[in-house]
Amino acid sequence: MFDWKLALEAIGMVIYATFMGFIFMGIERKAMARIQRRIGPPIYQPIIDTLKLLGKKESVSHGLIYDFGPVFALGASITALLFIPIANFQLFSSNADLIVVAYLLEVPMLGIMLGAMSSGNPYSALGVQRGLLTMVAMQLPYGLALIALIQHWGTFKLSNIVALQQVHGWSITVPALLLAFIVFDIVFQALLGLEPFDIVSAPAEISMGPMVEYGGKHAALLFTQHAVQLFAETAFFAVLFLGGASNLLELLVKQIAVLFIAIFVASIYPRFTIDQAAKFFWKWPTIIGIIAVLLTM
Amino acid sequence: MSERKNDEFISYELKEFKLFEPLFRWARKKSLWIVAFCTGCGGIEMPPLATARYDFERFGIMPNPAPRMGDLFLITGYVTPKTLKRIIITYEMMQDPKYVLAHGSCPINGGVYWDSYNVVKQLDKYIPIDVAIAGCMPRAEAVMQGIMDIIRKIENGEADGWKRYRENYEWYRKNQDELFGEGWREKDAKRWLAWL
Repeated sequence: MFDWKLALEAIGMVIYATFMGFIFMGIERKAMARIQRRIGPPIYQPIIDTLKLLGKKESVSHGLIYDFGPVFALGASITALLFIPIANFQLFSSNADLIVVAYLLEVPMLGIMLGAMSSGNPYSALGVQRGLLTMVAMQLPYGLALIALIQHWGTFKLSNIVALQQVHGWSITVPALLLAFIVFDIVFQALLGLEPFDIVSAPAEISMGPMVEYGGKHAALLFTQHAVQLFAETAFFAVLFLGGASNLLELLVKQIAVLFIAIFVASIYPRFTIDQAAKFFWKWPTIIGIIAVLLTM
Repeated sequence: MSERKNDEFISYELKEFKLFEPLFRWARKKSLWIVAFCTGCGGIEMPPLATARYDFERFGIMPNPAPRMGDLFLITGYVTPKTLKRIIITYEMMQDPKYVLAHGSCPINGGVYWDSYNVVKQLDKYIPIDVAIAGCMPRAEAVMQGIMDIIRKIENGEADGWKRYRENYEWYRKNQDELFGEGWREKDAKRWLAWL
């Protein structure tokens, strides 16, 4: 028995997430411009960029894996999105969906890297190396923050975490989880690829990192993937620490709040080198994370 | 060639996308990504354009270091044969449609290097130029004006440098080979772009 209502809801959710993700990317560029005292592009600029990339008349391909990389990344992003309880709607649910989402949100980077490596460009290879090192470095504080959260609420289910937060107050009102929130926010900066940790696609340094060989329709697919990913990550953050949401508007306000923290941090800090980033991740966020875990025991 | 209408050129686009062509044309003029080849003295005119004073990002123009994604190719200053090789390779790496904006007098006729033995006097013989800005050195306002010209040309469908390059590839290739000698692509470009 095929459930038409559920399928329509899922498709609607993906379309809404893509659209809002593009708007988030526009907000990001506009806010950065305003902080630098520029006027900045219109808020729907990423949609125009994606349309333009789709309208390119040729698209160079370097083989099957190169084409497969962006598709893989987009698929992983959409799957992660459907696991997150977005305003009472959650397509997939399992007993440990927190862990599933936490790792599905990192899979897209692997997909991009798979494609980038197969192009053979040395800048891509350098970007991939940096990206993997950043991922390894941020795993430890990321895991510690999630362990603190799981230990406090005593459940792996995202919907249970939301329900518990509705009863006992948001996660950030608990002192131990406030520490976890700080750790998660630092890791979040690296997840989004924003400024202190934008080592992966350091624009003036190694061209565009893994994206350097992508152009035309492949790049349009990567843009769409980034939009979905941005929506999913901000929603995950809001669900874990800001009490979830009962309707889309409430969720949107929380997502934009999370996004603005990331933008403000990104616009005042310069870029770490890769060794500094790894050293930083394994020092301060790890220490704060261990304290948070100990406090929740 | 001029009596043929613009759409009667060899059609490179897919038939399915023909319907969306007005939409794509609108998107193209609203989002030009710049690949800046900062030769000579023109590169210093780019920072005021990008920062708070003239801010070209309000028109959706963004500096983009990857040639595969770029649309607008800026050549800012004189061109020597050594840089011309790189310019041609970068131009061919960019994906259609692509536009070229030449700054200053040097790419037009040599400028102050009119009698130099080692400067390419006329860039238009080697790659097609869509808009050239005269002046030595054009100020940021003039560059902005040139970019506005490109946007207007894209709107009218006159920015067809990439089409001309495909139509007259043999002629451009002949000029390039006359300057560099036969087989320069295999000899030099293969060494820089070993992964291709």
